[in-house]
Amino acid sequence: MASVVVRDVSLNFGVVEVLKSLNIEVNQGEFLVLLGPSGCGKSTLLNCIAGLLEVTDGQIFINGKNVTWEQPKDRGIGMVFQSYALYPQMSVEGNLSFGLKNQRLPADEIASRVKRASEILQIEPLLKRKPMALSGGQRQRVAIGRALVRDVDVFLFDEPLSNLDAKLRNELRIEIKRLHQKLENTMIYVTHDQIEAMTLADRIAVMRDGIIQQLDEPQAIYSRPVNRFVAGFIGSPGMNFMEGTLEVSGSPKVKVGDATIDAKGYDFDKKPEAGQKVVFGIRPEHVMIGEMAKSMPYTSEVEIEIVEPMGSDTLSWTKLGGQNFTFRIDSEYAPKEGEKVKIGFDPARASIFDANTDIRL
Amino acid sequence: MADTVETGMIGVDARPARRQQWEKWLIRGIVAAVLLRLAMLMGLSAFFEDLGSVGDWLVEGLPWLCLAVGAAALLPNLSSGIRLQGNRLANHVVGWGIGTALLLIMYFFGPQIQPALSFMGRSARVLVEFTGNQGLFLAAMTALVALSLAVIGSEGQLLHRPGLFERVWAKNLTAKIAAVPMMLVALGVFTGGTIWTVVYSFTDSRLLPREKWVGLAQYERLWGEDRWLISIENLLIYGVCSLVFSIVIGFMLAAMLDQKVRFENTFRTIFLYPFALSFIVTGLVWQWVLNPDFGIQGVIRSLGWESFTFDPLYNQDIVIYGILIAGLWQGTGLIMCLMLAGLRGIDEEIWKAARIDGIPMWKTYLFIVIPMMRPVFITTLVLIASGIVRVYDLVVAQTSGGPGIASEVPAKYVYDKMFLGQNLAQGFSASTMMLLSVLIVLIPWAYLEFGGKERTRRASDV
Ligand SMILES: Nc1ncnc2c1ncn2[C@@H]1O[C@H](COP(=O)(O)OP(=O)(O)O)[C@@H](O)[C@H]1O
Ligand SMILES: [Mg+2]
Repeated sequence: MASVVVRDVSLNFGVVEVLKSLNIEVNQGEFLVLLGPSGCGKSTLLNCIAGLLEVTDGQIFINGKNVTWEQPKDRGIGMVFQSYALYPQMSVEGNLSFGLKNQRLPADEIASRVKRASEILQIEPLLKRKPMALSGGQRQRVAIGRALVRDVDVFLFDEPLSNLDAKLRNELRIEIKRLHQKLENTMIYVTHDQIEAMTLADRIAVMRDGIIQQLDEPQAIYSRPVNRFVAGFIGSPGMNFMEGTLEVSGSPKVKVGDATIDAKGYDFDKKPEAGQKVVFGIRPEHVMIGEMAKSMPYTSEVEIEIVEPMGSDTLSWTKLGGQNFTFRIDSEYAPKEGEKVKIGFDPARASIFDANTDIRL
Repeated sequence: MADTVETGMIGVDARPARRQQWEKWLIRGIVAAVLLRLAMLMGLSAFFEDLGSVGDWLVEGLPWLCLAVGAAALLPNLSSGIRLQGNRLANHVVGWGIGTALLLIMYFFGPQIQPALSFMGRSARVLVEFTGNQGLFLAAMTALVALSLAVIGSEGQLLHRPGLFERVWAKNLTAKIAAVPMMLVALGVFTGGTIWTVVYSFTDSRLLPREKWVGLAQYERLWGEDRWLISIENLLIYGVCSLVFSIVIGFMLAAMLDQKVRFENTFRTIFLYPFALSFIVTGLVWQWVLNPDFGIQGVIRSLGWESFTFDPLYNQDIVIYGILIAGLWQGTGLIMCLMLAGLRGIDEEIWKAARIDGIPMWKTYLFIVIPMMRPVFITTLVLIASGIVRVYDLVVAQTSGGPGIASEVPAKYVYDKMFLGQNLAQGFSASTMMLLSVLIVLIPWAYLEFGGKERTRRASDV
């Protein structure tokens, strides 16, 4: 059953169209991540779902109820913000209970909810402290707790980890995942960090300029991006893009400079046309070298220009068909600068885009 | 972050140890405070008493003065062992409280006690110096000091850290040395002028300053004069009302403008415009507006409501409220702008969080936003307060203190005595009284604002 439905939602700030007739269905208990670069309208969409912004057009349903014109507090949602947005003059306990007191819930009910939330988030020892005396991670826990005590079905997160340092971010990410497993609530999570998106999401919606580009499971988004933007946005280091033309004599081939890549085994979405300008994309981690390369359908000999060791892996820069090309392999087999090596990859794992429309072929 | 937690820990962990020594400190503190206060009173009054010859003076005044200086020197040591006195505020609260009690005792029972202390010679006269209004005023002031120390003590965990003053002094020593010339000038002009005023308030200077000491006579006269008492009363009414109303109105206007209204800039300009006018112009404008023949009353009567009366400037009982209206009209715009800046500083996500929690707007303001705007409130408070004490031109322009002396204010009293009444010393004593009151308000503020800077910074990086 759909827990949150966003139907044809548009939102304008004056003349600026931030969201353009957007549609999403989030299933009950699903963890949906809205991923996209800064300023693409992720927070705006989340605020529309929360009721903090009035939509210009369209409707929003939560648990089957049309909440388009409901107040945020009546929508059955809890929300966690990037800046934590804790009430600085109140203790942690006050932060958790202030909203509930305001709903005039009985005191023992409030106490039990605060207790449960602080147990789940392990913030019991902090209850008497002011937010000022907490670390960033602890503050964000409290902020999550404030959403938790509301006892709602849908959680909204707006870049909750962006203000934390890398280590804390990893820790808290795991905790959010645990929390989702435990509570089985619907969660909508906004981030610009693809690692967070990939690790947390049941499905990811990749957004750009107020439009959802692709809404799919993380693996599908990674391996079958629908357009060049999604392909480039997901994956680090980014996908290699090489401009070329398509030949369809026999099996389809992509001609990139002096190299010809046989796209046998590539699953074309559309029928390829001869002479069509295309962009051939292959992920750096899908390229093999040396012995392993030999078994690959496509192989070539290249000269290494620069190597960037990254610990476990090493990123090597070279040229293929006259265009920049990077690949990433285990540091143990890493080539040296200036060395000539044999590389190979399977074009079936590549992505080919129309050079004009950037859409996957 | 780590250091926040650490200071928090000090506050918690150090307490049991402190409580053990508390009694010792308390007793020392009380002894020191009482000793100091008594000695100072005796010494000062003996010093300024008209004792005739220098010989008498040395015999009777000097020992007390020495005692006072000695007590002052001993005080830090007595009250806090090796630590500095500022770190032991609680004791000082008690000390000042006892000082208040002593002053009250002198005010009520001074003359009865005096014979019993005749062995003290003429210095015993100090006991009857405080039976007038000035005694009551001093008692109120010492009570205020006690109160503000209590407030500071409860607010500022920082002051309880040992070695605070040493560290403050040693930090940025070069910069501090570079600032010395400027500080000397400032000290010379401000402090020098102030001290000169205070010193000459103990003389009988009239047209020109002269060093003929009359002790507290000027103060006695001051507190016996109707005009001064009315001035103080007016200042109190004007002060309390303008404080309350300009903060309330200023905040409400700011909150309204903060709702992202259209033409915000226009409104802001309109509200702020009166602030660009001087008090004199404001006073004249409102003198006309409140004039029974041409102003509001005239207009409404001409509309047909013949019995309508609204002439605050001509009614002794409410004239100060007429001045208050003009003052509010002039000053509220600035307060509004400050408050608006404060409101804009509040993270928008706080508002969003409150809306999700379903907290009504007024509760969000009251329990979340206003507490977060504390620094802004403190600043406006001081701005308003300093405006209140200085209120002078408004009165001169609107009523010249009339009808009769019904709208006199202290600043005008000072001016009139010094430059019109040719009674310098009387003016000096009145301005010393004002200075005293201002200091007692200002010092706690300065502490909370500057001493508390560390806390404010931490709050802002939340
Ligand atoms: N209150 C506003 N008024 C006008 N434009 C806004 C407002 N809030 C956001 N925008 C614009 O909407 C776009 C999307 O913003 P936002 O949803 O915050 O992006 P993000 O994906 O980084 O969260 C941005 O280009 C921003 O400039
Ligand atoms: Mg955002």
